[in-house]
Amino acid sequence: MKFGIFYEISVPRPWTREREREVYMNCLEQVKLADELGFEQVWAVEHHFLEEYSHCSAPELFLTACAMVTKNIRVGHGIVVCVPQFNHPIKIAERTATLDILSGGRLEVGTGRSATWTELGGFRANPDDTKKSWDEFVRCLPKMWMQETFAYEGEFWSMPERTILPKVYQRPHPPMWVAVTSPGTELDAADRGLGSLGLTFAGFAEQDKKIREYRRRIQLCEPVGAFVNEQVGTTNFLFCHEDNDTGVAMGKRLGDTFNYLAAQLISTREVYASRSYQSLGLLPQLRRAATGPDSTSEQAEGLCFGDPKRIINAIKRWESIGVDRINFLLNANEVVPQDQVLASLRLFAKEVMPAFATSGARPTLAPAAAAGGV
Amino acid sequence: MPLFGHLDLATIANRLPTLPNLDTPAWALPGAETMQLLLETSRTAADALLPKAMHPAVPSYLAITVTRCPESPVGPFTLATVRLGSRAGAHPRGLVLGAYASTPEAADGLRHGWGIPATAAKVSLTRRHDRLMGVVEKDGTTVLDCALVNPEAISGSDVQLINWVTMANAPLDGTTSPMLIQVDPKYAFHKAERGRPEVRTFDAAAWNAGNLRPGDPIVATVAMVDTDLPRIRFVMDPLKPVYQGTRRIRESRADE
Repeated sequence: MKFGIFYEISVPRPWTREREREVYMNCLEQVKLADELGFEQVWAVEHHFLEEYSHCSAPELFLTACAMVTKNIRVGHGIVVCVPQFNHPIKIAERTATLDILSGGRLEVGTGRSATWTELGGFRANPDDTKKSWDEFVRCLPKMWMQETFAYEGEFWSMPERTILPKVYQRPHPPMWVAVTSPGTELDAADRGLGSLGLTFAGFAEQDKKIREYRRRIQLCEPVGAFVNEQVGTTNFLFCHEDNDTGVAMGKRLGDTFNYLAAQLISTREVYASRSYQSLGLLPQLRRAATGPDSTSEQAEGLCFGDPKRIINAIKRWESIGVDRINFLLNANEVVPQDQVLASLRLFAKEVMPAFATSGARPTLAPAAAAGGV
Repeated sequence: MPLFGHLDLATIANRLPTLPNLDTPAWALPGAETMQLLLETSRTAADALLPKAMHPAVPSYLAITVTRCPESPVGPFTLATVRLGSRAGAHPRGLVLGAYASTPEAADGLRHGWGIPATAAKVSLTRRHDRLMGVVEKDGTTVLDCALVNPEAISGSDVQLINWVTMANAPLDGTTSPMLIQVDPKYAFHKAERGRPEVRTFDAAAWNAGNLRPGDPIVATVAMVDTDLPRIRFVMDPLKPVYQGTRRIRESRADE
């Protein structure tokens, strides 16, 4: 089991001149501490227009800053939106390669397609096309990173032969993931040999089923890259405190706040009838949990808040169903004071991390890569 | 915290429907054909129309709906509504701004049964080969002329029709006062199509829609459904966040 931290970069109103900077600086301080404490990854989302919920529209810049103030923690671009109106694939290849170089080969690349009308409509992207464009992008990226020159004619983008520069620092290329929120996307990940980056806070039974299907399916995958990244990550909240009641109370406040903000988003399915968005994804579950920002309702099972013992028990359950790594959301709308976020990280590292082995399986090289053919 | 609406209730108190009680019997509406056009609209104008209990949707959007009901307890009628996409706490809701029904009986029943601010007018839903057209004429003036253009078949399971919220005076605890009423129809889909929304005429004043104008098109759908107007289950204080001001009037239906 490996542990990471995960950023939406949620900024509460009022958005004074210094507010966003203060939140960004808090996040950077947390990342620096997490690196020192032995957390293995930091992920940052790409979201646009999502008021208060996420002000992380340029994650590659935030992650570059993270890389510059840390030594070991891997930086996860999670996820880069693979929709041409959001990001041109050439720019994705160039930006990620630059980040990989600057971080000294610590980049992980998450891919996805955006789930909200707020974002897709904002970029005037067609929801019917996002899964298809994502598929084109993830098949092109490894080639753009690895090949001397690259040319492409596709449905959603094309380019004549050029040398895309710089090249990634990691060889053959950084691990690739896909964000899994809608049911069935774990199969898309498996078919392409991509890591499954779970962004739901679902309970054990649902995740267990998804993970088993992912593990079964990936055995017969045709990897889009040079290796199979068979890993299952999931997302959780973290608030660790010596006193269980205090930890649970603050953790629930964190979870309720996040869920309430998330429930304000307009999922694509809410307004746009499309086969491409048949599931409401993350939102229905969050809405069920989000009866209010000060709710006393029960939270989903397996959430990592409370004292170290409670958190260890929750993580053991996740480990038992095959989760390889957990990425923790540490704050939402700054409801947890910064000193308490830092204390929670320290206590987690001291009391919880030792209970789990940290050595994970190495990525499996695809035949071509193993033979030195890529 | 998300923003809240800033409607001054006093500005609309004199036109709110009044319910004699909250015991309205359900209406079954089998075989209905419902066309819904979704279009983005101005955020500032939308916030001015939302009660303080509700959050704006981001982006704000209008749902223009024309529904032909061949069977109902008050006979056949066609209903046109304009709703404002919003949030009641964590839940997506369409706040009903204005409504017209094709018969006085339907308008009266909707107004006094669920607080839908309906008045009688000429309401039509017409299907042509390349479009469905919804038109509302009030006192000889067209107040809505809209269409779903180039329909293509989709699955009913792809269509999401969110619940309604109406504003009305209704008695509760011995006092009749303004409240928000949740109207949560069920839908069994038989057929669905999708197309591009087009609005030629939208008389905002006729729909109590303030400065709202239909903006960027999102999508239009039309569906054949068995639907209903169910018994009232929840009412909300228009001045308090709904997670503080919601009252359950009766239990959910057995199938919920």
